[in-house]
Amino acid sequence: MRQGSWGFRWLAAAAAVAAVGVWDLVQPGGLARLSGGLFTSDLLIRTGLFTVVLVGLNLLMGYAGQASLGQAAFYGMGAFASAIFTVRARVLGIPPAVAEAWWWPWVVMVLAALAVGAFALVVGLAILRLRGHYLAMATLGLGVIVYIVLRENLGMPHLNLTGGFDGIVGVPRLRVGGVQLWPVQVYFFVVWAAALASLALGLNVVHSPVGRALRALHGSELAAESVGVDVGSLKAKIFALSAALASVAGSLYAHFQAAVVPDTFGFVPSLELVVMSAVGGMSSIWGAPLGALTVLLLEQLLRTHVLGLVPAVSGELEPVVFGAMLVVIMMYWPGGLVSSRRTQAPVWTSR
Amino acid sequence: MTTRVRSAAEPATTEVAARTARGPREHLPAARRAGPRARLGGVAAFVLLGLWLLGRRLGYGPGEYLQLLVDGTVTGAVYALVAVGFAVVYRVTGVINFAQGAFVMLGPMLTVSFFRALGGAGAVALATAALAAVAVTAGLAMAVHRFTLHPARGASALTRIIITVGVYISLQGLALRIWGPRPQVMPAFTTMQMADRLLEVGGVVLQAQSLWVWGTGAVTVLALAAFFEGTVVGKAMRACAVNRTAARLMGIPVDRMATLAFGLAGVLGAVAGIVLAPSTRPTYDMGLDLGLKGFVAAIAGGLVSVPGAVAGGLVLGVLESLWAGVTVAGFKDLFAFVMLILLLLSRPQGWLEAGHE
Amino acid sequence: MSGLWRGRPWRAALCLGVAAVLVGVLVYPLVAAPAARVGAPYRIGFIASVTGPGASLGTPERDVARLVQERLNREGGIAGPDGVRHEVQILIQDDQSRADVAASLARRLIEQEQVHVLVGTTLSGPSLAIVPIATELRTPNISMASARAIIEDPQTKRMRTWIFKPVPENLHSAAKQAEYLKAAGIDRVCHLYENTAYGQDTFASAKQEFPKLGIRILYGDSFDRFATEFPQVTRVRASGCQAVVIGSIPPAAAVINVAVAGRVGPRKIVHGHGACSPDLIRTAGQAAEGTVMPCGKILVADQLPANDPVRRVNLQLIEEYSRLTGGQPISTFAGHAYDALQWALLGLQAVPDGQPLARVRELARDGIERIRNYVGTHGVMNLSPEDHLGFDPKDFVIVTVQGGRFVLLPPQRWK
Repeated sequence: MRQGSWGFRWLAAAAAVAAVGVWDLVQPGGLARLSGGLFTSDLLIRTGLFTVVLVGLNLLMGYAGQASLGQAAFYGMGAFASAIFTVRARVLGIPPAVAEAWWWPWVVMVLAALAVGAFALVVGLAILRLRGHYLAMATLGLGVIVYIVLRENLGMPHLNLTGGFDGIVGVPRLRVGGVQLWPVQVYFFVVWAAALASLALGLNVVHSPVGRALRALHGSELAAESVGVDVGSLKAKIFALSAALASVAGSLYAHFQAAVVPDTFGFVPSLELVVMSAVGGMSSIWGAPLGALTVLLLEQLLRTHVLGLVPAVSGELEPVVFGAMLVVIMMYWPGGLVSSRRTQAPVWTSR
Repeated sequence: MTTRVRSAAEPATTEVAARTARGPREHLPAARRAGPRARLGGVAAFVLLGLWLLGRRLGYGPGEYLQLLVDGTVTGAVYALVAVGFAVVYRVTGVINFAQGAFVMLGPMLTVSFFRALGGAGAVALATAALAAVAVTAGLAMAVHRFTLHPARGASALTRIIITVGVYISLQGLALRIWGPRPQVMPAFTTMQMADRLLEVGGVVLQAQSLWVWGTGAVTVLALAAFFEGTVVGKAMRACAVNRTAARLMGIPVDRMATLAFGLAGVLGAVAGIVLAPSTRPTYDMGLDLGLKGFVAAIAGGLVSVPGAVAGGLVLGVLESLWAGVTVAGFKDLFAFVMLILLLLSRPQGWLEAGHE
Repeated sequence: MSGLWRGRPWRAALCLGVAAVLVGVLVYPLVAAPAARVGAPYRIGFIASVTGPGASLGTPERDVARLVQERLNREGGIAGPDGVRHEVQILIQDDQSRADVAASLARRLIEQEQVHVLVGTTLSGPSLAIVPIATELRTPNISMASARAIIEDPQTKRMRTWIFKPVPENLHSAAKQAEYLKAAGIDRVCHLYENTAYGQDTFASAKQEFPKLGIRILYGDSFDRFATEFPQVTRVRASGCQAVVIGSIPPAAAVINVAVAGRVGPRKIVHGHGACSPDLIRTAGQAAEGTVMPCGKILVADQLPANDPVRRVNLQLIEEYSRLTGGQPISTFAGHAYDALQWALLGLQAVPDGQPLARVRELARDGIERIRNYVGTHGVMNLSPEDHLGFDPKDFVIVTVQGGRFVLLPPQRWK
């Protein structure tokens, strides 16, 4: 393994991202116009957010080989935590001096990530004993349960903490000192700072002894155990890390969208995350931004160019083409777009 | 980028796994020793007790419980059919077919369209439309296997699952395109009108459609059993399920059996959807929920056994109905997934007989 | 031969020709009829829930948007106060009944598509998500949903500057229901509502309005919109109420209607204004016969008295709508979409030509707020800085289902 070489790639990526960010800042909407409505600020931000989530998911699914069909639940928990502790702070008894301070949403973000990570650790220790698609189904079940609990106002409609089906509206923007990290062109830097940091984290893990242990785990758990890898705890820790990353991304999303709705975090969004991971390349950290960008770009393309913004209603044809493309990509590039550059033939692995 | 760790331990691993999964079980503690059905029964009994206690607090008497129970067997029968579809496909191909929900949706939607084309009135027209819809769905299911899963048969299980997810998304999108977002209407089979005949038996109010659900479910499952036991093709399919390699060596066209299994799943799904349609107003997105719950039922029954899937479906239906009777409306769906997790946790090494892949 | 052209008579002719042309060029603009000036096109963003649980409401709304676009195309757009004509483009989008999608679409329409007015959306939750965006980006927003909180800040109780809606609220609906129940001699009811914000609001409104006329709610419960079995029906039978009030929109309203109608005997079923749609009759069939609900006048336009100004507007809309949709009957939601779009057009008609984008939005907003005596589909409406709804509750009518159609039920027939 080339130990230090990932650093150059990362710097190149960071430079590219910075360039795009500065361009959009200096000429808002310029990139969008140039690309015919494809590279909107919305798309760039969402790519960044999903990159954070996917780094964690790729570590879990691609490296550790543990399926997760409920990752959107952790994303949602982070988003709702940020929303509840800012918008519903009064109901929770948090003094306004704290709730309106500029540093409070940041504190919430960090604490939420820790809490979600701890939750995932505990749950992980229980369910990660499962194998193959049984694990996938358990994570699916978990994801749906979290979604239903969020949708049902945590079972306490009188407190109205999560806002039920319609969620919470009016999440404040992030601030540093007195400066609001807005408009969208500025927030781009916040999100991509997080995305680049998570990429660095992921690459670090992969090229470390932990990464080797993960690959051993993926190949054969029994064998890994026999060479001294503490399989159970390693799996749980990676699960927790992926959950924490998803939570951070969720918090950043809440401050971006300002409206947090349970439907964003259900079963289908979890599937979309798996799709992004698979399309980009599950077993690659760089597959995270690639997968996110490809899928989002495809959706954007279908929405604006195939159907046109005027006057037809968007969304009608989109799923058919999207689903068909997913099938084709999985049939011929199961290693994801990242791997197709390295190997000519698709990488078949049996489990 | 990833290197597959090939160690000498590999062959031994599968052997160990095989031995642990099948038995002998003397070294396991008593709770683990019980077979999957006994365990399912245990979990179900425990849950029943809890629900009964909750119901008592609401002042439910035996009449209310009976009503909920009966209602539960109706949805349970539908879950059972969907679950059997999952089980059959999984046994023969090793794939968890996420597109199964799409078959459940296509059955009634196609029936409504064919029915309208045939004039929109009369039991004969409806029956013909239903049969045509089942046939089309089965054909579509087989095409799905032939053109997407068959070429990808060497891929990992997760990849194949994602392929079926893609198929589901496409089919749901197609349904939206063809039929629009509004729910369709199918007349109740007994009255051939929107309003169904109500029967009152021993204090329990029953829709006549429920009789259709039970009847069709029973007939379908029995027909399937007869197929597996009695016909050559059926037995060949069972052989594939037990041991693919051996079956291939015996000259059984394994891949064609896989396609046929999908066809059967299409039939089962379509029938389930059609028979439920008069009471639920079929919509383009009805398949997701039913698919997931049918899947939970299949897992409950061990995923590989047809009678297990039926039992799982009925148990899930009844328990879910009792739960719905005692809980706040929105939490109803929670039950199936909590049950899923409990079931999975009670047998972490999986519910599958080894030697499958 | 060329020498001929240089002769003196030719030179004189040439000079005269040039002079004539010059005179003509100078004189012509003074005598010719002034050409009509055409200003820059206006864009109206239109978001509706065409798919998802709100599809039953959003689809007719989308159809009306298309209808209005066709009309605008035929008439060449609208004219400003200075007589300058402007083409109008309506950009139609589907928010899939989701608040997050609605928020994204609102942002995209306002920032990228640079719409002058934003109309949307169908449901209350997604509309509330649009509110902060429209406010932040200073664009007038006309919602087609019913929640009070859309136009009124719940904290300060004041109207939100940039938000308007022509849709009556559940409080109005509940008050009308109470009026009917009292006249029908019913004072004990059950209330079933769907487990959404809308449903909960109908229940809250009922709890507020019913006691004013001495009506008691013996049993109130939420139900799952997507359920197939309804254990609540058992409890209705046990409660002893005389009527069942339902707070829901189709198709859920139809499904619970069917479940209740079969099993609660002769009890009257009373819907809220969310059920005022032909989808109710289509989906519930026989079970909807005899049910009663407070609706906008558009639903029974042909049964209104001839002197009602609303009648003519509605009949014309119904005719165009029927032509566009191939015979679909009208619903109140189509009416709301129509009113919302008309308000947007009236606002834009108040904007003189040549204004920059931000100013157009401001002036359009002011124009909407100044709307008076607007004859709409639900009644005559008057807006003001203190009232961004403008609906007179007396404009609600009670309607029943008879023979598969909506029939006006005048007070004398309320029993």
